Amino acid sequence: MTFGTPTSGRLGRGLVAPLTLSAALLIAAVFLGVVDLPAADILAVLAGRGSDDADLVIGTIRIPRILTGILAGAHFAVAGLLLQAITRNPLADPTILGISQGATLTVTIFLLFAVYGSGADAHTLYSLPLHWLPLVACAGGMLTGLLVYYLAMRNRLSVLRLTLSGIAIGATLHALAMGLIAGWGSSRFEIVMQWLSGSLYARSWEHVVFLLPFTFAAAVALPLLHRSIDMLRFEEDVARSFGLSYRLHFSLVLLTACGLAASAVGTVGPLIFVGLVVPHLAHFLAGRSFGMVMPLTVVLGASLVTGADLAGRLLGQAEEIPIGVITALTGAPVLLFLLRRRS
Amino acid sequence: MRTRSRCIAAILLAVSAAALIGFAALLFGAKPMSLDAAMRAVFVPSQNTDGIIVWTLRMPRSIAAFLAGAALAVAGLLLQVITRNPLAAPDLTGVSAGAVVLIVLTFVVFPTVSSVFYPFIGMSGGLLAAAMTIWAARAGRAPPLHLALSGITVSLFLNATTAYILIRGAPQSPSVLFWLSGGFQGRSWPQVTYMLPWIVLGIGAALASHRVIGLLALGDEASAGMGLNTARCKLLLLLCAAALVAGVTPVAGPVAFIGLTVPHLVRLLRPAEAVSAILLNASFGGAILLTADALARSVAAPREIPVSIFTALIGGPIFLYLVQKREHLPSGEGAR
Repeated sequence: MTFGTPTSGRLGRGLVAPLTLSAALLIAAVFLGVVDLPAADILAVLAGRGSDDADLVIGTIRIPRILTGILAGAHFAVAGLLLQAITRNPLADPTILGISQGATLTVTIFLLFAVYGSGADAHTLYSLPLHWLPLVACAGGMLTGLLVYYLAMRNRLSVLRLTLSGIAIGATLHALAMGLIAGWGSSRFEIVMQWLSGSLYARSWEHVVFLLPFTFAAAVALPLLHRSIDMLRFEEDVARSFGLSYRLHFSLVLLTACGLAASAVGTVGPLIFVGLVVPHLAHFLAGRSFGMVMPLTVVLGASLVTGADLAGRLLGQAEEIPIGVITALTGAPVLLFLLRRRS
Repeated sequence: MRTRSRCIAAILLAVSAAALIGFAALLFGAKPMSLDAAMRAVFVPSQNTDGIIVWTLRMPRSIAAFLAGAALAVAGLLLQVITRNPLAAPDLTGVSAGAVVLIVLTFVVFPTVSSVFYPFIGMSGGLLAAAMTIWAARAGRAPPLHLALSGITVSLFLNATTAYILIRGAPQSPSVLFWLSGGFQGRSWPQVTYMLPWIVLGIGAALASHRVIGLLALGDEASAGMGLNTARCKLLLLLCAAALVAGVTPVAGPVAFIGLTVPHLVRLLRPAEAVSAILLNASFGGAILLTADALARSVAAPREIPVSIFTALIGGPIFLYLVQKREHLPSGEGAR
C-alpha cells in the first residue's frame, strides 16, 4: 500500500513467490475439479470456442466460484489486517469482533422465518430464498459491527473495550444462533451448517457482483486512508500528536473493515481463519518492510481461499469438504508455530 | 473480616436462591403442577405421575444443572488464575473444544465404547488441547495475549475438526448435534451420579490448593519468591480444571458463558480469600445454570429451548456490563 518504499527491490522479490504460487493455484483451480474435463476443452472455453457442456462447467460454475473465492479471501484478509492494526491487537479479526456471528444469527433467523413463513414442510426445501442470504448476512454483520463500535465508543474510545465487547457480543450471538439451529431441529439444519462452515459451493456471478462494489469502495478508500492506518497503530495520544483526528479516522477504517468482512461473510459464510492468520503470515513474510504487508495480505488471502476450495473439491470429490474446515485445519498449525516463534 | 461474612452471606444467598428456583422449577414444565401437588410429591414419594415427574425428571435435572454450572464456573476461575487472563474460560482456552472433539470422534468412529469412558476421553482431549495452547505460548512465559490467541486458535482448529467428523460421519450427526448444543433435556439420576465424582474431585482439589491459588494471583515472580513451584502448581490446577470440564461435557455438552462470566461476577464481591472465591463461583455458577435450565424447559413448554440461548442471554449482558463498567478487567484473583 505504501508504494514509495526504498526497499522496492526486496518488495519485488518478496512478492514473487506468493504471486507465482497464487497464479499456479488459479490455473489449477480452473483446470481441476469434480467434472474431469480435458485441458484442451478448457482452453477452448477460455478462447471463447468451447462446447456447451464445457462452457457450462467452466463459465458458469468454476470461474465465478473462483472469482468469489478470490474476492472473499482478499476481503477477509484485509479486514483482519485493518482490525489488527487499529485495535493494536493480534487477536482481532472479523470473528473476534462478532461480525461473523452477527451474520450467522441473522441468516439463521431469516431461514427460520422464511421456512415457517412459507408454511413449510419437507418439500419446500427448493423454494428457500437462498439468493437473499448474502444481503441478510451482510446487514447482520454490519449491524453487529456498529453495535460493538457503539459500545466501545460510548464514553471514551477504548481499544480494549472494543475487543472485549466484540468477544462478548460474538459469543452471545453465536450461542443464540447455535441454540436456534438446535432448537429448530429440522432436517434443514444442514443448510445452516454448510453455510456456517463456509463454502464456495454453487457461488455464481451474482455473488461476484455482490462483492465487487465493496471491493471497489475499499480499493478507493484504503489508499486515501493508508497514512492514518499507519498512525492508528500508535496509542491514541501519540496518534493525536501527529495531528490525526483519531476518532474520525478510527471510525472510517473500522467501517471499511466491517464492510469488507460483512460482505465476505455474506457470500461465503464465516471463514474463521483467513482474517486471523493471513495478516500474521504476511507480517512474517514481509519482515520489516511494512509496505509489502498490504499487497501480500491481499494475495495470500485470495490464494488461501482458492487453495482451500480446490483442496476441498478434490479431497472430498462429490461431497465437498467446506473451506472453513480446510482453512482452520491448515491455518491453525501455521498460526500456532508463528506464535511460538514470536513469543 | 467483613468481607468474609459478606462472602458467606452471598454464598448462602446464591445457594438458597438456587434451591428456591429449583423448587419453583418443579412446578413448571410440559405438565404444570400445583404447589401442594408438588409438595406432596416431594415429601411423600410415591409412584404416581406427579411423583415420577418430580423425582425422575425435574429434580435430578435441576441438580445436574446446578452441579454442571458449579463445575464450569470453578473451571473458569482456575483457568483465569493460571493464565492471569480475564478471557481464559473453558471455551476460550480450547479445553472444551478438546473434550468435545475426542468424544465426538469416539462416538462416531467407535460407537461401541461405553459412555463410562467419556469423561476420561474428554479429559485427555481437554488436556491435549491445553497442552497445545501452552506449547504455543511457551508455557505461559509469553504475554497473556499470546496465550489467549493460541487458545482461540486451538479451539477453532478443534471445532473445525469436529465439524469435519460430523460432516463425514453423517448418520449419527443429528444426535451429536443435539448433544453439541448443550442442555439437560432427559438427564436424570444416572447422569448426576456419573459426573458427581469428577466434580467433587475437581472442586475438592481446588479447595485443597486454595493457598496456591491465592499466591498465584500475586503474579509469577511474587509467588516464586514465596517459594512456590509455579510450573508444577499451574499444572495441578490445570488438571483440576480439565477434570471439571471433562466431567460436565459428556453429560451437558459444551455450555457457553458460565465459565467466562461467573468468575468476573464473583470478583465484583471482592472475595478476600481463594476459598470463598471458589465457593462463590460454585454457588453462583450453579444458581445461574439452574435458572437457565428452568427457563429453557418452561418458557415454551412443552417445547424445549436449548439452554445455551439462556446462558448467553444471561451471561452475555453481564459480561458486557462488566466490560463497560471497567476500563481494564482485573487479571488475577483478588486484584481490583
